[in-house]
Amino acid sequence: MSPIRPIATIAGAGLLAACLCSTPLYAAQPIRADAEAAAEKDPLLKAMLTELDRSMSQLQLPGFAKPFFIQYRIEEVDDFETKAEFGATEGSSRTHQRVARITVRVGDYKTDSSGGRGDGALQLAGLDDDPIAVRSALWAATDQAYKSALAAYAQKQAELKQVQTPPQADDFSKEAPFVSLAEPGKLSLDEAAWTERVARASGLYRTDPSVKATEHDVEYASAEFHARVTTTWLVNSEGTIVRKSASAFQEGFGVGTQAAEGMRLDRSFATNGVTLKDLDSQAAFEKHAVAQIASLTDLRNAPLVEEEYHGPVLLSSDASADTMRSLVASGVTATRPKLGTEARTNGPFASSFHARVLPEFLDAVDDPSLKSFDGKSLLGAYTVDDEGVPAQTVKLITAGKLDSYLIGREPVRDFPQSNGHGRAGVTGSPRPAIGVLKVTAEGGISSDALDKKLLDIGKDRGLKSVYFVETLGGDAPRLLYRIGQDGKRELVRGAELADLDQRALRSGIEAAGKDLWVANYFGDVSQTVLAPALLFGDVTIRRANEKNDKLPFYPPPD
Amino acid sequence: VPAPSRSAAAIAALALATLGFARPAPAQQTAAPVLLDAMTTELHRAFASLGKAGDEKQLPPYFLSYSVSDASYVGIRAQFGAVVDSGSNHARVADVQVRLGDPKLDNTHAAHRSSAVNSMQLPLTDDREALQRTLWLATNTGYGTALDNYLRVKTEAQVRAKEEDSSPDFSQQTPQTFIGKPAPPVVVDKAAWERRVAELSKIFREYPDVYQNAVMLTVQNETDYFASSEGSRIVTPHLSARLVVFAVTRADDGMDLFRAQTFEAETVDGLPAQAQLAVAIRELGKSLEALRKAPVTEPFDGPVILSGRAAAVFFHEVLGHRLEGQRQRGDEEGQTFTKEVGQEVLPKFLSVADDPTRSKFGDTWLSGTYAYDDEGQKAQRVALIDDGVLKTFLMSRLPIANFSESNGHGRAQTGRVPTGRQGNLIVTSTKTEPESDLRKQLIEEAKKQGKPYGLYFEDISSGFAVTTRSSPQAFQVIPLVVYRVYVDGRPDELVRGVSIVGTPLAAMKRILATGDKSEVFNGECGAESGTVPVSAVAPAMLLSEMETQKQAQGSARPPILPIPGADAAATKEAK
Repeated sequence: MSPIRPIATIAGAGLLAACLCSTPLYAAQPIRADAEAAAEKDPLLKAMLTELDRSMSQLQLPGFAKPFFIQYRIEEVDDFETKAEFGATEGSSRTHQRVARITVRVGDYKTDSSGGRGDGALQLAGLDDDPIAVRSALWAATDQAYKSALAAYAQKQAELKQVQTPPQADDFSKEAPFVSLAEPGKLSLDEAAWTERVARASGLYRTDPSVKATEHDVEYASAEFHARVTTTWLVNSEGTIVRKSASAFQEGFGVGTQAAEGMRLDRSFATNGVTLKDLDSQAAFEKHAVAQIASLTDLRNAPLVEEEYHGPVLLSSDASADTMRSLVASGVTATRPKLGTEARTNGPFASSFHARVLPEFLDAVDDPSLKSFDGKSLLGAYTVDDEGVPAQTVKLITAGKLDSYLIGREPVRDFPQSNGHGRAGVTGSPRPAIGVLKVTAEGGISSDALDKKLLDIGKDRGLKSVYFVETLGGDAPRLLYRIGQDGKRELVRGAELADLDQRALRSGIEAAGKDLWVANYFGDVSQTVLAPALLFGDVTIRRANEKNDKLPFYPPPD
Repeated sequence: VPAPSRSAAAIAALALATLGFARPAPAQQTAAPVLLDAMTTELHRAFASLGKAGDEKQLPPYFLSYSVSDASYVGIRAQFGAVVDSGSNHARVADVQVRLGDPKLDNTHAAHRSSAVNSMQLPLTDDREALQRTLWLATNTGYGTALDNYLRVKTEAQVRAKEEDSSPDFSQQTPQTFIGKPAPPVVVDKAAWERRVAELSKIFREYPDVYQNAVMLTVQNETDYFASSEGSRIVTPHLSARLVVFAVTRADDGMDLFRAQTFEAETVDGLPAQAQLAVAIRELGKSLEALRKAPVTEPFDGPVILSGRAAAVFFHEVLGHRLEGQRQRGDEEGQTFTKEVGQEVLPKFLSVADDPTRSKFGDTWLSGTYAYDDEGQKAQRVALIDDGVLKTFLMSRLPIANFSESNGHGRAQTGRVPTGRQGNLIVTSTKTEPESDLRKQLIEEAKKQGKPYGLYFEDISSGFAVTTRSSPQAFQVIPLVVYRVYVDGRPDELVRGVSIVGTPLAAMKRILATGDKSEVFNGECGAESGTVPVSAVAPAMLLSEMETQKQAQGSARPPILPIPGADAAATKEAK
């Protein structure tokens, strides 16, 4: 294909190639006329295509290679945040920006200028659609990115000469052009109402009749609301044209104090979704917040965990989802290994292809097309990734064995193509990441059956008590219950978990629940994990022995 | 490290003799706002409670202050002719200062000074409980830090040899009370200003070699609330509106060339009219296009003239920063003037004062104006150099040898510990001449020294704009627009790439005469205690000698393709 093509041809090539796309998840392919008409009606898109054509046809430093690939991605972010503390607002901010990220590659698909730190250049683009302004921002960044690419390419050629073992895969995958034009998103909400709502929630410790008498010593009580709508325009020199939008909303609450000996006691929760309607009602949110404030008293009165315990531990589905995210989500992404090595990828599962990483009764799939589950909307769902590749459902782990990785356009050995998992934050370069990671158990059992099994294992091993983790905060349990042989639960505090690692995942899970928890992680790249409760046979729980901060030097104001 | 003012600006050309000394209008005293009341209540409760629990390890503080900045802000930024950012913000931040021990030796001694302040965001509403609980937390944290640092200060004092300057750590001052009217909310017609800012940025399309430009409007209305255990209670407003224009080009040999211009006023309505701004931007554009084609400078050692604007920047950077009190105390750098009090440091016809109580110079608003400093001290005019003789330094409440009190120059950005800083630095001269005579003298001086030309520095910037924030060049000044003034009557010739060699301070003693008109430079100045607004005022100056060389330059090529729209600009030019 000649790099010099007018807009109409690009759109046409995109359509043609999209039909050949191996797994077209995204059904709504506009016909060629639609793409052309859309570009005519979308001055931003038109300006991007104009500048892309000019750069591909004319950008060259005499005596050096021309770019073989250029991609323009503009993210328009409309973002509102408001935060309150102790019942009063600390302020709100509304940000509306367009950030252009420009990628220029020189060389060829096998060996190009790409490096480890994310290639390309950034510019803010104009918020109105003035074509000259948009093109000027793209032009400035393209010039910068091209010059950097030339330098990087020369450096890479030199580095290649230093190593005996050749790279295990091409630098850049060939992907079929893809055209998909969704409507741009819009953020509309009542800012004042949300500001008022979080202010009220953050003051519940002093206004709610059920807690105000006991929570005089609260050291923080905060609530915040965050709304974000992102519209992405992506065009590249292969003919891909994508316009897509995503939205995410979250309301969160946190409260904390110290126990008598200084230990920090923290509780927090969040409700989130892709529309405002997905969030908990104000009444439900406040009820949850009050329950958390009240739990501080329970925590303060709870005994310290025993010094060290080895034995069965049941993680609730909530705690399991966090654990799966930290132990599995990072391992199943494939990234280019260090030059000169024979490694396939990086991370804990770098050499685990076709090996067992979970017990045989567990499967894991990443399915970005799953938009809701159990009535909850999933933040990690998407249809096209941030390299313009349609999202695919990837069976990652089948019957405990690692069958595949999540990958973007930087191939690794045996994975020459993207599976639509190149995901990027607003200013970042794309990296493989989970969308909706769903972990399921063959023959999962009920919650009661799990409880019984936990106690039975304890009995078999002659333990006086066993443990149940209800929620985690980071890696440490926030709500941890000691369960006696009689089944009686007692809240304990001050614990940390140890030995909860890839080995425990592979060979230490005794049973799993049948119901999945939906954990949405609101972030620069939002993700979702669905997981059942997991019963581990041998995990260590011990006293955290963290430094106990001084109690306040003088009492709080009345 | 003192990082210099970011930009030079504004054009006041008025005969010094006819200048009325404008003072800030007597601000109106009003009833104490809820915020100040909540601050005072919590401050006294803390002061009465801390260290009184009977634990001898928990010393009572001898000083406690709350300084709250309540700032509303509107910012609009355009580049390449379109708005890229438009936002507003309102935040309250409390800086809590706790001092333990006694004024002679306290927890803020020497390297522990930056630990004196603990900051926390405060609620925006007049909710006493929320305000006081937040202040309680901030005070707790601040007190904990103070205890820890005081312990270390005591230990270090026992093991170290006598310090060069054994002045106390905190000066005794009279408490101040002034309840001014809080600043009004920022009112900016955003839609209209977004259009104006975009239009101004769009003008650069007439100059296709300017490959990067930005036009930024920032309007900030701030109210500063201060309460201390000494009994000070102060409320003062501070308003500012600023339009910054920044543009960059690159010569064919890879030399980056930039110009910046700023416009300041107390409120957004005080900024120049659009047509006037457009003229200034076209001048900037023309200047950059001329600069990129100008010949590169040759090494030079001879007479020069600094324009008023260039002289103002020069005095702020080279002299002003070295007169900051705390620099005389450190064992490391910057004690240039410590032992020169009472001695002649400039020619006799020059005097230098810093006067934050002035809000205008002629018609030009001075951005370094304030009524009380960030330690609650009343602003004062300080005569730093009288008839060439060094008299004193810019003092915060950190005493130095022979200067035990603040003179109302303790300034800081929110979150930092105040140090002696400049406000409005004003250079005056008794040996003035019309600038045309100055030029004649430059030519004569060059002839006398056997030089083919003298140099005229029209615009000077500080290193701030071209170095990173983390590695500012101390006191560096960068000449931006420099002309050769030939002795043989050839027209003046613009050169590029001029850099000043050696210590610029030495050049100050070689000032022969000054012009009869002063120019104002308004800017923002960064140093240890953060960024604060400042002004400098000076007349043009003739120096008998300054050494310059070619600056180090990059080798990056100019952009490969023409900027989009360049064809249109070229067509227009051809017509």
